[in-house]
Amino acid sequence: MVEFKEVEGYDSLKSELKSLEKSDKPVFVLFTGSKDSSGKSWCPDCVTADPVVHASVKEKLSEGVFITCQVGPRDFWKNQSNPFRTDSKLKITAVPTLIHWGQSNRLVEEQLFKRDMVDMLFED
Amino acid sequence: MRATLMTAMIRTGAKQCCPYAACSSSRSVAYYSKSAIDTNSNYDLVVIGGGSGGLACSKEAADQGARVAVLDWVAPTPHGQSWGLGGTCVNVGCIPKKLMHQAALVGNHLADAAAYGWQLPKDHHVPHDWNTLKNAVQDTIKASNWVYRVQLNSKKVDYFNALGSFLDSNTIKVTDKKSEKTITAKYVVLSTGLRPTYPNIPGAELGLTSDDLFSLKKSPGRTLVVGGSYVGLECAGFLKGLGLPVDLMIRSIPLRGFDQQCANLITDHMSGEGMNILWRCSPLEVVEAGNDQKKVTWLSDDGKKESQVYDTVLWAIGRQPRLQPLNLQAANVQLNQKNGKVIVDDEERSSNPSVFAIGDIAQGRPELTPVAISTGQLLARRLFAKSSRLMNYDMIPTTVFTPLEYGCVGLSEEAALKKFGEDECEVYHAFYGPYEYTIPHRSSEQCYTKIIALRDDPKTVIGIHFVGPNAGEVTQGFAAAMTCNITIDQLQSTVAIHPTSAEEIIKLRITKRSGLDPRAVGCCG
Ligand SMILES: Cc1cc2nc3c(=O)[nH]c(=O)nc-3n(C[C@H](O)[C@H](O)[C@H](O)COP(=O)(O)OP(=O)(O)OC[C@H]3O[C@@H](n4cnc5c(N)ncnc54)[C@H](O)[C@@H]3O)c2cc1C
Repeated sequence: MVEFKEVEGYDSLKSELKSLEKSDKPVFVLFTGSKDSSGKSWCPDCVTADPVVHASVKEKLSEGVFITCQVGPRDFWKNQSNPFRTDSKLKITAVPTLIHWGQSNRLVEEQLFKRDMVDMLFED
Repeated sequence: MRATLMTAMIRTGAKQCCPYAACSSSRSVAYYSKSAIDTNSNYDLVVIGGGSGGLACSKEAADQGARVAVLDWVAPTPHGQSWGLGGTCVNVGCIPKKLMHQAALVGNHLADAAAYGWQLPKDHHVPHDWNTLKNAVQDTIKASNWVYRVQLNSKKVDYFNALGSFLDSNTIKVTDKKSEKTITAKYVVLSTGLRPTYPNIPGAELGLTSDDLFSLKKSPGRTLVVGGSYVGLECAGFLKGLGLPVDLMIRSIPLRGFDQQCANLITDHMSGEGMNILWRCSPLEVVEAGNDQKKVTWLSDDGKKESQVYDTVLWAIGRQPRLQPLNLQAANVQLNQKNGKVIVDDEERSSNPSVFAIGDIAQGRPELTPVAISTGQLLARRLFAKSSRLMNYDMIPTTVFTPLEYGCVGLSEEAALKKFGEDECEVYHAFYGPYEYTIPHRSSEQCYTKIIALRDDPKTVIGIHFVGPNAGEVTQGFAAAMTCNITIDQLQSTVAIHPTSAEEIIKLRITKRSGLDPRAVGCCG
């Protein structure tokens, strides 16, 4: 079974990951631009990637935790010293980014538009 | 640190792919399912072996519009070790070797630090933790394995984590953990590389090779390294540099094929740093000695049997092909009877006109990653882009990453004298002292450089050798100069960068013929 979680911001991601420390299920995190009050995202690539990633999760991931992390508004994200960029375990330099937490495997930006590429990350 | 590197690699991966046509459509959403691959099993090119040469060849062929598949399968070592996509260099060769060499160099800097004023804690024995290093190295490797898969995917190269073997010239059986299928190809490229050789003695299987070393679960401890190959010297060098007791056993000469004066400086340096080198000894037997230790018995120089107990025995006595599973008879691909490598012509073509071989597996080719890469790319362009350019195997530079590094390009002194005769060659040489050695009083006794040039006009340089720190960095630019046929006059009129070690090469004036003392003189005169 895949457990879906949504978090907003760095601190809530960290505490979510901490709570999963003991779990042996694979954890995946999709970093994406936050949506405004009307539900619109400032990051068009995130919007394109979203259905591709979710279709792949549905088909390829049978067991695990899938966290969608909204990184915040555009201004916050563009700040080069925001914690997503500086955390040595994350080093997220672009949105959207999809990572297999604790492993080297990650995909960024237009790589996430390709269904077979995303499948590869979940199959690995 | 880990993550930075990883991100950096992904980013370069993305950048590299963008100038190419195969990737320009990446902004549109590409859906294609695995079943499409199965029905589309007719390829322009099937590459067997996803290492340095195979990956380069397949990516280039795909960039030229060919339909390409790559098969990569790693047979586990006798100790159960195996690894991901990318071949020897990235998994069990150049990359982990260089990182562990760097770890040892960092240890040297620590030792020098006090002399430069760093107030380390008194009586500072700084211990080294093998697992921290090993994990960092393995993380770097895994990040690369992933990047290679992403690259193949973005170039639409089909990747099979499967063993390839011939059914006939154009039909390949693809066997993975679960299934077996056949694919066909117009052309097949063999790039299956080499694996370490085990000696033919009782207990050989108790020893490890470089295929196991970089992922060892615990520190190798007291180690016997057997073999005077560059792999042997480098592994012995960094293990010693990490603070382990290491013996190095060399049956005949070190670094066969390299300039022997320089090779001996390297081993002199290692001895000087306290490595015990067992010259002219050959191993006879290895037996279990309890506590996971091994007792090795060898025949020494004077015909006596000697033995010693070690935690780890590392065979570095050579590398050989493993072509049996490929069923090459089915494609009528001829091998060299002596070393089992694939016989190829100038165009890398085997005895079968639709089968090619590149990289370490090809007979007579230098066993180096950049050579395999260039050969693979050029071959792909000849096959799919109407190019006629051949690989140029002259002037291949290389560096041995021993504690004191040794870089060279062109001919060794022996080879030059043999080829052109003593009267035709001028050998310039000097011992020098790297500036960074002065304050910590590091011995520079073996720091040496030498140029071999022809005596006839235009006095073309035919060999450059450099023994000293950062030899790889130093040698690369001189290799470019030699590729442009630089003459000794041009080299000597090049302006130095001061203070560096590299400037010693262009400052060379003393010839061997003159008999003058090549030992270092002052500094800035
Ligand atoms: C310890 C060490 C240090 C080295 N250091 C350096 C260095 O500093 N600089 C340098 O330039 N070179 C170095 N090398 C040499 C370098 O690694 C090789 O020259 C290079 O990897 C050769 O590339 P290749 O494509 O021929 O084969 P490889 O990279 O060896 O790749 C061959 C691949 O094919 C796979 N394969 C084999 N048979 C089959 C089959 N039947 N089906 C499917 N797959 C198969 C293998 O498992 C492997 O993955 C080093 C080597 C070693 C061992």
